Amino acid sequence: MAGARTPTAPPDVGGVTDDALLTVRAAEGDEDAFAVLVQRHAPALIRLATRLLGTPAEAEDAVQEAFLSAWRRLPEFQGRASFGTWMYRIVTNRCLNVLRARRPVAPLEAAGEVPAAEHTTSPERLAESRDAVRELREALDRLSAEQRTCWVLRELDGRSYEFIADAVGLSQEAVRARVFRARRCLTRALGAWR
Amino acid sequence: MTAHIAHDTLVEDVAGVVEGVPGVAFLKPGLAARLRSAWSGPAAGPGAGRPPAAGIRLTPGPEGWHVDVQVVASRRDRTVDVTRAVRDAVQAHLAALSPGGPPARVTVTVTGLV
Amino acid sequence: MTTHTDPPDDARVHGDDEHLPCGRPLSRVWDDWERRTEDPHRTGCPHCRRAVRELDELETAVRGLREEFPGTDAYDAGPLTRRVMDLVRLELRPGRPLPLGEPAEDLWIMEAVAARALREAAETVDGVRAGSCRLAPADGPDTGAVELRLDIHAPAGAGLPELAERVRRRVRETADRHLGMVIAAVDIRVTDLVDAPAGDQEGRTA
Repeated sequence: MAGARTPTAPPDVGGVTDDALLTVRAAEGDEDAFAVLVQRHAPALIRLATRLLGTPAEAEDAVQEAFLSAWRRLPEFQGRASFGTWMYRIVTNRCLNVLRARRPVAPLEAAGEVPAAEHTTSPERLAESRDAVRELREALDRLSAEQRTCWVLRELDGRSYEFIADAVGLSQEAVRARVFRARRCLTRALGAWR
Repeated sequence: MTAHIAHDTLVEDVAGVVEGVPGVAFLKPGLAARLRSAWSGPAAGPGAGRPPAAGIRLTPGPEGWHVDVQVVASRRDRTVDVTRAVRDAVQAHLAALSPGGPPARVTVTVTGLV
Repeated sequence: MTTHTDPPDDARVHGDDEHLPCGRPLSRVWDDWERRTEDPHRTGCPHCRRAVRELDELETAVRGLREEFPGTDAYDAGPLTRRVMDLVRLELRPGRPLPLGEPAEDLWIMEAVAARALREAAETVDGVRAGSCRLAPADGPDTGAVELRLDIHAPAGAGLPELAERVRRRVRETADRHLGMVIAAVDIRVTDLVDAPAGDQEGRTA
């Protein structure tokens, strides 16, 4: 991260100041403290948003708006969660809204009609191939916003069901149900392709 | 007497006086400047072309002018001394324009230290 | 695909579960597999094994997908930070104006600006980290003075009363010499004790 420092974020004089202190300062109107938090948390949040939305450009927009929303809400932030967890939740919900607003793509049933690709390698290799990943990407676009979000947080981000439930504001059962449906859709899509 | 001096010109005048005071980094950037910075990216930071008269408000009153000044000051100087120098400079400037009139009332607020 | 018509018996997954030909709900088979639960039936049952293999193959594709996303190390947060801060500066929260100098001089400094300078003053004391810093005009008519409440993290092992006194002195010095603000009272609260790494004030290890 050494190369990522910019004049926008003042250097942390005298060592690294922890998030909790910076959060309190930012809540009291210290925008320099907020700049340090933005700089520090942006990479992880961009990765999260890119995984959820699929494209870096949309991820940048979502994270930028999430930070702005956080700045506005900071005076009411009680500090029950860490700044990182709080931002994770804000970014997740913003991405969820972006996904909900997308035009629905072809329903999953259409995946059954996908003709088998011209593959001759053994089945074990197929799943590892680039085509399987491409197929997976396309199948992800056919999931509902909630299914996709829960699945991405679980499978790509490695979060616990408890954490996901908290982040998206659903019960753990509801999260499990969505991850299950997502997996079923995705295994079918890959199976149809095979 | 002061009514004969065009208001905008006077504001520009006072802005120049304030910016000439040692310890004043710049007048508080107006919304226009900050919007420009937000939309045109990092190229246009604060100080990239002074927006006209941001940070100065001039109101005529029965007892003479009330001047409200908002500045960003240099942290190398003692802040209260900078604000006093601003007040004195503005009062002196307005007194020279209308000798014999009541002294202007000057409010100085520091909105940033750099 | 579903050959069983029994209602799903797994309450964890609502409504749309499906049962394998062996009678097991698919959700349970996958759930057990995810939890690494030992299950002799699963190892022996061809339907369950097939269901698990499909999930396994999905996992393989997921690994490939994960690798397509760039890591966090490669991301330069500078441009995004600048954009965010440009927008933040349109919505600053400077707090209220606080008096400078003698009473009724009509000279002011915004609370957030003064607070930043006073936090920095507190942090000149070794190992001290400043958090909340609230300023308010002192009680009484036009005293021109300000009361201050400062929360700090103190290094573990420091004598707290002495430490608080040093912080108070630094804060008063800065308020007087650098700002020119009259401070009526300084209330210091130690909200946390932190282990001070050796050579803390040097910042990152030399």
